[in-house]
Amino acid sequence: MAEDRLFPLQVVDGLALDQKYRDALRPGESLLDAAGRERTLPRYFYEVPSWDVARKLELSPHFYLWEFIQTDVREVDVFRRFPRYVPCAITLLALCLERFREAVGTFVHIAANGGYRSPAHRLSRDASPHCWGTAANIYRIGSTWLSDEKSIERFSMVARETLPAVWTRPAGDAAGFADDHLHLDFGYVVSIPRDAPDDKDKARR
Amino acid sequence: MAKDTKKKQTRDTANLRDRVEQIERESGATALAVAVRDVETSIEFDYESDRWFHAASTIKIPILVGVFGAVHAGELLPQSRLHVRNRFRSADDDSIFRVDPERDANAVVHAAIGKTMQVRELAFHMIATSSNLATNLLLDFVGLQSMQRTLADLGFDDGIELHRGVEDNRAFDAGISNRVTAAGLARMLKLIAEERAFSRMLSKEMLDILHAQEFNSGIPAPLPKRTRVAHKTGEISTIAHDAGIVYLPGRNPYVLVVLTEWEPDGSGRQQAIARVSEAVYEFLADEGGSKKDG
Repeated sequence: MAEDRLFPLQVVDGLALDQKYRDALRPGESLLDAAGRERTLPRYFYEVPSWDVARKLELSPHFYLWEFIQTDVREVDVFRRFPRYVPCAITLLALCLERFREAVGTFVHIAANGGYRSPAHRLSRDASPHCWGTAANIYRIGSTWLSDEKSIERFSMVARETLPAVWTRPAGDAAGFADDHLHLDFGYVVSIPRDAPDDKDKARR
Repeated sequence: MAKDTKKKQTRDTANLRDRVEQIERESGATALAVAVRDVETSIEFDYESDRWFHAASTIKIPILVGVFGAVHAGELLPQSRLHVRNRFRSADDDSIFRVDPERDANAVVHAAIGKTMQVRELAFHMIATSSNLATNLLLDFVGLQSMQRTLADLGFDDGIELHRGVEDNRAFDAGISNRVTAAGLARMLKLIAEERAFSRMLSKEMLDILHAQEFNSGIPAPLPKRTRVAHKTGEISTIAHDAGIVYLPGRNPYVLVVLTEWEPDGSGRQQAIARVSEAVYEFLADEGGSKKDG
């Protein structure tokens, strides 16, 4: 008998999804990071049936699912409608941001395109951790807009002191830097919930 | 001395030319250009209409057309959402610049930084309240070269020069500016007025946005109360323009573009544009196109 499960989203095997979703998600495929190292994309995703569900679903006391999937026209067409799919590690990211929010003591705002982005998103490049659901771009903390080096560095320091193993993008306007948000990520973490389908079940692959 | 270029004129416009010359003399403007294209009577009037001016915010009309060109090409939809972000690259050297919220006439788009807005909403704010941030967001997404191609495909390779976003000071210092002629803008507005810009539906959507213009002290000021004007103004230190489509009751519209240049401390700019608008209105009314109804 299945265990009682409070989390309402169904875990799906990306390899079992229709071709149009697989083309955009590329489950289990490899991407090269900026240094040319191979990284394997997530295979298991939560299925988000509607914007209404995303709007109401708390991933942590202060973060709702919609904040992590708010993208713009740069996202691939199939993920500008529902159902949408988000890597299961998104729940871990929400918990880390909750801890960060406790440390800063005020609201933490995730930018559009600043949570999960599919590998087909126009801004996704070089194995961006955004494609793993483990990165967040924060544009505002409380009443502070992160639009200058000083504010970005200040909160970057808080993140690094609060969250073990977090990586933050240095402040600046050159390539590889950030000048209008704080980017933080936890690298290429993959989450496989206990109720995920069998890894060996690739019948529809 | 100002001259009437007398291009494509079908009726005697000497009286109108005299009045425009008089307005120019009396206003103190250092340059004035006028183009009229009347859909009802086919009258065309040109006064220095091939003279190039810094476009100021009238460049937002070609950018509006460029955005709807992208819609027409299927690259985006009016309801597509765009990330609002105040970060742009200079057309001069690719360096980063931002739109100063203190100088921007619109606060709504700045308040949405970090979130998304619909393309349609951004286009509305770009025109109605002349939002520079909305303008740059749209230009940045569609792309300068893509917009230039759209304008060229529509035949606007003369009379409109789109080279950069707004508040790109580095590009300005390097001599890279957006320029227009009265004839160029008039031709573009006539295309929209005749609902021939991409499609009837897209032309109407552009017209709806141009009708939402909130700065009405130029062309609309002297016109009868029931007149509707779809237009875009542009004003910087030495420039004051207004370019629009005038819809009088009971007749087809006419296009009027008034471009002016001033000394930095020159006053009476909007009054001069309004006087030209009044002169054109009275001229066309006398030609049988309309009657003043106060």
